[in-house]
Amino acid sequence: MAKTEVTSSTPATEAAETRRPRRAAPMPSHVRRDARTGMLLVSPALLIVSVFTLFPLAFGVYISLTNWPLVGSYQFIGFANYTSLIHNTLFLQSIVFTLKYTAIVTLPILIVGYALALLVRANRPGATVFRTLVFLPFIVGLTTESYMAVVELQPTSGTANFVLARFGIVKDTTAWLVHTGLAVTAVCTLVVWFAAGLTMMLLMAGMQSIPQELYESARVDGASWWSTERSITIPLLRRAIVLSLIISVVGSFLAFNQFYIMTQGGPGTSTTPVVLSIVNTGFSSFNIGLASAMSVVLIIVVGLISFAQFHFLQRGDR
Amino acid sequence: MTSVPNSAMAAPRGGAARRDRARNTRHRGALAWYLIAGACVSAVFVVPLAWEVLRSLQPESAVTNAPSAQSFSHLGFGNYQALLSGQDDIIRNVVNSLIVAVITALVTALVALLAGYGFALFRFRGSGVAFALVLLSFMVPFQAVLTPLFVEMHYLHLLNSLIGLGLFYTAFNLPFGVYVMRNSFLQVPRDLLDAARVDGATVMRTLVFVLRPLVLPGIATTALYAFLFSWTEFLAALIFLTNDGLFTLPVALINVESGNYGAVNYGLLLSGAVIAMIPCIVVYVSLQRFYVRGLVSGALKG
Repeated sequence: MAKTEVTSSTPATEAAETRRPRRAAPMPSHVRRDARTGMLLVSPALLIVSVFTLFPLAFGVYISLTNWPLVGSYQFIGFANYTSLIHNTLFLQSIVFTLKYTAIVTLPILIVGYALALLVRANRPGATVFRTLVFLPFIVGLTTESYMAVVELQPTSGTANFVLARFGIVKDTTAWLVHTGLAVTAVCTLVVWFAAGLTMMLLMAGMQSIPQELYESARVDGASWWSTERSITIPLLRRAIVLSLIISVVGSFLAFNQFYIMTQGGPGTSTTPVVLSIVNTGFSSFNIGLASAMSVVLIIVVGLISFAQFHFLQRGDR
Repeated sequence: MTSVPNSAMAAPRGGAARRDRARNTRHRGALAWYLIAGACVSAVFVVPLAWEVLRSLQPESAVTNAPSAQSFSHLGFGNYQALLSGQDDIIRNVVNSLIVAVITALVTALVALLAGYGFALFRFRGSGVAFALVLLSFMVPFQAVLTPLFVEMHYLHLLNSLIGLGLFYTAFNLPFGVYVMRNSFLQVPRDLLDAARVDGATVMRTLVFVLRPLVLPGIATTALYAFLFSWTEFLAALIFLTNDGLFTLPVALINVESGNYGAVNYGLLLSGAVIAMIPCIVVYVSLQRFYVRGLVSGALKG
């Protein structure tokens, strides 16, 4: 429920904004009155989005109220799936793990991304090349990089141990992916390295839209670099910072690939994120009803996070 | 070197040439430091990827033994040959990935193009609601609707279908695509539209002959995002495809990782990962101005 409130607020206001001036003024001549063609043009997009996103959303709520198996008939069981979640230690554990994981990676991604944006925002020779190179891990994708990490994190043969052992940080027999703490360290490091480029791009776009005159007048006033950053860049960058935070926090909450590939949720179930526990419940235990109830909870949590961050953004704007 | 900036500041107004030269030197020094710092930072992000390319050229025995200088003396394409021939037959998976990515890119670009045209330049009842619905679907994480989607796609006979997967990817990429295309059409100069109308051009003729060159960058942005998303997507492909022969490359590599084709072979896994990586890099580097355009328009909208 919370999800619909969250999401309908922004598009609705935007739609209202675009509509209002047209209604007040006579319709501009370049806007076609041909209503049927207009509807025809947007209908394929609406159809596809409805079939693959909006309908599943409603259907998921419906399924979550049943004991839907993968095959066979089903019955309505009310909120039994939801009440059983309260005692479902695997699910609760996966939520706690996902929260911890999100808490660990969010700030490093923002800080590293900010530092990278400072490097590439300058209008200097080389800046474009650096930007392209730093962004490559994001383009290549976490799935491919997780496979590479699996090979390089092997004890005795992996490059990670080879390099780290030279500096005396770990023994070269360290088995990264079979100890919870080490596995989380490895996955988080990989994710920060992967995601920092996206934050860099978003913050850089924000930085470049700040008027240069502000910096020039700060320079004339003799402001130091740090006070210029603090009093000009960061306040004017708030929108971009919040946007990149929303993207990275929601992304962390929906994490799956890196854990599925690198740890399979283990050792035991100690590195199982929420999406993996949903997939296991739905497609290994074939309990579609319960998995759908978990999904509804996930949607609400993700919606609340986005809402909280949007709220923060809007309040700051006033 | 440090004395140069000082003399530059102290230079009297008359010594313009000298001052310029001093400033240039200072400028060049700062630039050198900037380039060195930038190269070091870039290396952190690029060297690991390049290193994996090099490692994938090692023989399998070198990949699974302690790294040493000698292990790089016999580089070759052995892993690739083994991966692309024999029982693993990863070529089929690469082709599957390409099919899905191309379907996703083409259908997303076409549908978003039409919808952007409709939303930007036509007035009709419900257009605001329809646009809000498309944006609303942007906020629905597909990871959280996998179970109902699985049941629905089963009934629609779209499981174990590359077209089905492509349509699903299209749905995921459409909200962003429609947003980008609508903005592209909103930026078309109205004089041009008026002229097309006065000339009596039909809706479709206007789109194809008058508007196409103006919205082509938007189309490229939309198609590029859709292609890269599809090529690298893992979870939905894992769930919606259960037939090995239809696996896309990222899913097929799970079998290589877990050694479903016999013993675990990390040489094969690395070469498979490199095959997955190369198209991303080639496509991105050659079309990156369209990619950055999309990011910036998304970021500034906030």
